[in-house]
Amino acid sequence: MPDIRDYEAMAKLELTDEERKWVSSRLDKIFESFEEMDDVNVADVAPLVSVLTPGNVLRDDVAERPVAREELLGRAPAQYDGYFEAPKTLE
Amino acid sequence: MEHKAWSLGAVLLEDSIMEKGKPATAGSKILEGFTAPFDAAAVERLRERGVPVAGRVGMPEFGLPDLSGRGPESAPEAVEAVAGGKAAFALCNDVFGLYRSFAAPRGLCYLRPTYGTVSRYGLIPTAASMDQIGILCRDPREGLALLSVIAGNDRRDGAMLPGAAYRYEAPAASPVVTHFDPQALTVAARQAAVILGSAELSGNLSRYDGIKFGYRAKDYKNLGELYTKTRSEGLGLPAKLAVILGTTVLSRDYYEALYDKSLRLRRVIRNWLLGLLEDCDVIELPFDTLADEPGTHALAPLAGLPSLTCCGKNGGVQLLAGAGGEAALIKAWEEARQ
Repeated sequence: MPDIRDYEAMAKLELTDEERKWVSSRLDKIFESFEEMDDVNVADVAPLVSVLTPGNVLRDDVAERPVAREELLGRAPAQYDGYFEAPKTLE
Repeated sequence: MEHKAWSLGAVLLEDSIMEKGKPATAGSKILEGFTAPFDAAAVERLRERGVPVAGRVGMPEFGLPDLSGRGPESAPEAVEAVAGGKAAFALCNDVFGLYRSFAAPRGLCYLRPTYGTVSRYGLIPTAASMDQIGILCRDPREGLALLSVIAGNDRRDGAMLPGAAYRYEAPAASPVVTHFDPQALTVAARQAAVILGSAELSGNLSRYDGIKFGYRAKDYKNLGELYTKTRSEGLGLPAKLAVILGTTVLSRDYYEALYDKSLRLRRVIRNWLLGLLEDCDVIELPFDTLADEPGTHALAPLAGLPSLTCCGKNGGVQLLAGAGGEAALIKAWEEARQ
């Protein structure tokens, strides 16, 4: 198991030392159990992403608004002038 | 089509199933303060048929057990509520076996429908390719009646079986049941379900960023810190473990060896089960808890096939059928009791 901090950063998480110890111990156990998959040879089998294969499902090309803009904006932790509000990204 | 008035009792909703105007948190602080902007498709169908909703029940965060295999010590709230008689049914999304492992020892049943037959519109997602609203109940015949209410095609869910409705007619003949003892493939199925489930969960949980809805950390200096602090404060430990595991198996270092291999294993397992079902209608599997090996509860979600978990000898029994074979599951259960 590589350094867990690399994956924390990718997942936009920062664990406390105690949490990191807890997660690391479980990841070690989980990765050890993955060795049980080695007994099955799947080299000649194609991946199966979904059990459904109906093809691409398209709806009619008609504009819909199932939920009003205000309804969605009203659920944001912060909004400003009809937009989601976030810290500025450019200095 | 005329329906008889519903008389089988009220339904509890797990906290991941949305009801317009009510809080829906999927058991997570990260959705603190969130109220549902619409009803889930399953809830719409309950209301259309006059099935009473008894209320909402809490759940472990995103329905997650400890993925390292140390099962939780206490049963989910929905299991306790139905076992205690607070409602006849609960609708839940059991991806990792949490509800099924606790239902049977409490004398309850869990009917997990064929993948793509109950709309996931309005269900807070855990692992999209295995998410499927199921039914916790006391009597599987009543569970099947409730399934006929909530199942049906819905164009708002992009992964549904074709066909407007699904009929659950009991087979005329007795179902042929094959008893099956687990083998190495079943052990591998458990690992594949953990890998695929955590990978999909890590993607699903990326939406919780403190910008659009739910919890936002109070102190941050910039956007990056807002994301990281919000997620670090808002997600619990089992969810953090699952997200980090999912991120790891999707990373360049592990993608081929773990994620891609699990997708291939899923095909092997589905084909293997479908092969067994060519000679029988129902496969009977041993019941197992989350802490048990080999983890037969992973088979139905991975293969997208319906299953019925209920009490029986040795703690319980799991029955598995081909797609759309829910009525055969119930009939096999009835005949086994006689």
